[in-house]
Amino acid sequence: MASIINASTTSGVVITGDTSGNLSLQTQAGANTITVPNTSGTMMVSGNMPAFSVYSNAQQTVNNGTFTKLSLQVKEFDTSSSFDNSTNYRFTPTVAGYYQINGAGQIATASQGLLVSIYKNGSEYKRGIWFGNVASIGNQSIVSTIVYLNGSTDYIELYMYQASGSNYLTNYGSNSTYLNGTLVRAA
Amino acid sequence: MYEKLIKIYPELATFNFASGAITLQNDGAGDYIAKWEHPTLAKPTAEQLV
Repeated sequence: MASIINASTTSGVVITGDTSGNLSLQTQAGANTITVPNTSGTMMVSGNMPAFSVYSNAQQTVNNGTFTKLSLQVKEFDTSSSFDNSTNYRFTPTVAGYYQINGAGQIATASQGLLVSIYKNGSEYKRGIWFGNVASIGNQSIVSTIVYLNGSTDYIELYMYQASGSNYLTNYGSNSTYLNGTLVRAA
Repeated sequence: MYEKLIKIYPELATFNFASGAITLQNDGAGDYIAKWEHPTLAKPTAEQLV
């Protein structure tokens, strides 16, 4: 027999869980789909789902042939205070899961051999667009990936590499050299 | 660091340092050799890099 929960006209629908803190929606066996809300509704997901966006506010030297961590000092938002924008310039979320991460880095001088790269725990994880033989002022490499972070010790950072033969400066600003990301699936 | 390496090994002037065999890195405290897996050239010693 189906159970029906009716909303009160004054309090709405209130579902109180037990002491476990868990609230589960279970489908009938063989019908493993729960659709919330209906096709015209809107579902709010809030709470502890980290999202951040940061960018650099100063030029930075990237030495020739060297993967250089980019300093990202300005926060546009950081919902869980997980981005260190003053010392290590890294995102260390406290919620385990899979994160969509996007980054960009722009060089101020005509350069070639430019790329930005997402680092995880100090090692290169994914590379972005590689400007191998295109020497142009304002080249901007971008990178996008999904990465698993364990919610305690894992962190990501943004690095830039350029191989133009000289040491060059980055461009800065919210549309030039930036990093952002959000949790897309909990562990 | 790059210039020091080229002085020690001039043949690295045409080497692709993004290839992964040799990685120079700067985490905010200066350049260093993060990885050296060149097939024929030995990793320079600290004395050579001074």
